[in-house]
Amino acid sequence: MSSSIQPPPSLQPLLQIEQLQVHYGSVQALAGVSLQVQRGELVTLLGSNGAGKSTTLRAISRLEPASSGRILWHGADLATVPAHRTLKLGIGHCPEGRRLLNRQSVAFNLELGAYLRRDRSGIAADLERCYALFPRLAERQQQQAGALSGGEQQMLAIARALMGRPELLMLDEPSLGLAPKLVTEVMAVLAELHRNGQTILLVEQNAQAALEIADRGYVLEAGRIQLQDNAADLLKNPELKAAYLGS
Amino acid sequence: METLLQTLLNGAASGGVYALVALGYTLIFSVLGVINFAQGALFSLGGYLTYLLLGGKIGVNGALPGWGLPIGLPFWLALLLAALGSGAIGLLVERIAFAPLRRRGAEPLLSLITSLGAGVVLVNLLQLLMGAEGYAFPQGAAGLAHLPESLLLGGARIRTIQVLLLAISALAVASLSLWLDKSRSGKAMRAVAEDPTTATLLGINSEAVVRLAFLLSGMLAGLGGGLIGMSVSLAGPYFGISYGLKGLAVLVLGGLGSVPGAIVGGLVMGLAEALIPSQASGWRDALAFAILFAVLVLRPSGLLGRRQLEKV
Repeated sequence: MSSSIQPPPSLQPLLQIEQLQVHYGSVQALAGVSLQVQRGELVTLLGSNGAGKSTTLRAISRLEPASSGRILWHGADLATVPAHRTLKLGIGHCPEGRRLLNRQSVAFNLELGAYLRRDRSGIAADLERCYALFPRLAERQQQQAGALSGGEQQMLAIARALMGRPELLMLDEPSLGLAPKLVTEVMAVLAELHRNGQTILLVEQNAQAALEIADRGYVLEAGRIQLQDNAADLLKNPELKAAYLGS
Repeated sequence: METLLQTLLNGAASGGVYALVALGYTLIFSVLGVINFAQGALFSLGGYLTYLLLGGKIGVNGALPGWGLPIGLPFWLALLLAALGSGAIGLLVERIAFAPLRRRGAEPLLSLITSLGAGVVLVNLLQLLMGAEGYAFPQGAAGLAHLPESLLLGGARIRTIQVLLLAISALAVASLSLWLDKSRSGKAMRAVAEDPTTATLLGINSEAVVRLAFLLSGMLAGLGGGLIGMSVSLAGPYFGISYGLKGLAVLVLGGLGSVPGAIVGGLVMGLAEALIPSQASGWRDALAFAILFAVLVLRPSGLLGRRQLEKV
């Protein structure tokens, strides 16, 4: 425990982003994004292709440098933290396109998810938990990750992120390329994790599916937050309906 | 019979050394996708370091004629320390020839030139210090003196040093494979080799893994140089370069980036060379590259290479 005096948890967000700007060369990807995530929340970040959703997650993971603005984690600026330290701090990132180790087995991928942990019994317990959450992975432990179906790969990506016991689980479009039935399945798992207290930041294009399980949502457009509200209200929002919900 | 056994053993022994060099390339190629052309120079360095640690003296053309370390270490300790020394210089090569380019996001091909440059500098420094002459290792170096010159094996007489060479290379290759397979840092290296971004998100410091690859790679080259120095001699500062090139051929022969490929490729190359009769020994290198050419025509990804997965 830190000995310094900190505001009560309700006042200090777990993650707070202030006026974040990111550039790829001379192209501006994020033009001043501000958002926050409280402990235990499931927050979704919506938007179309190229709106800057993945860039936001990559900036939080320190894979992309911020050109201005701040990313505060537990109130501390992440500016000087190297990318490989973010998981140690509690930020788990399940990246766009899953990025599995395709030539390695399912078991190896999960083992590497717990790379930073030394608590053997805890790791074994979490492995059990992951296999319980995704029974199909248990059946395919020794298969190459690259040989799994799209849905199984997505489950493996989520399970691998969980093996790192992140305080904040960030997911980049877990529904991408999945059949509707599998999208429902993945969202149900995320909802269950959320019920058990997992803080989640979910990037999605599938606004309907994401808002159904989220507490709050942000809508990103051309590198700026255009809308933010409770998930229930966003679902009813006429602007959003027109743009993303297809009705 | 006798000569065939000796021939096969010779082939396997030099094949083991080729495998060491090729594995050195493989480690760096896996994590960075580039070839370290200083590998041959590190091989030379390993040979000279072993010579000095065994108590060898600098010749008349060197910078300090007649000078030598005031020690004569047992051969196994000399080999180990020489390997570590080459590994340390390998790290330095990474700092000077690779890291600055990587930090600036330069085209990876450029490191072929910078590493070649580092290798040339290293070989020239060796020449400055030790002179261009060849060196034979001190006769009866400590720890080797009580070994018989040759052994009788199944009725055939074979040179002890060749057995030793094969055993040490096999041990080094086996420990490296075991380490990659089982250890935490070996697993981290495999993760970085497959996807550095993913490895980073899993908490692996990929820069540290790259440095480790250079250290190990330099150690393998240095060990190879020490072993060849012991079994043959040091033919001059450039002697490592030809082994470096042979290792490169083995790397491609076995399949770029494949650990078992480097081992099999090394043995194939060593045995094929050994089977050339000594009257035609001038054809050895030609044969080596002819094999390489033939294999690549038939199997473009090498003996055990993966077919490149197309990225969608």
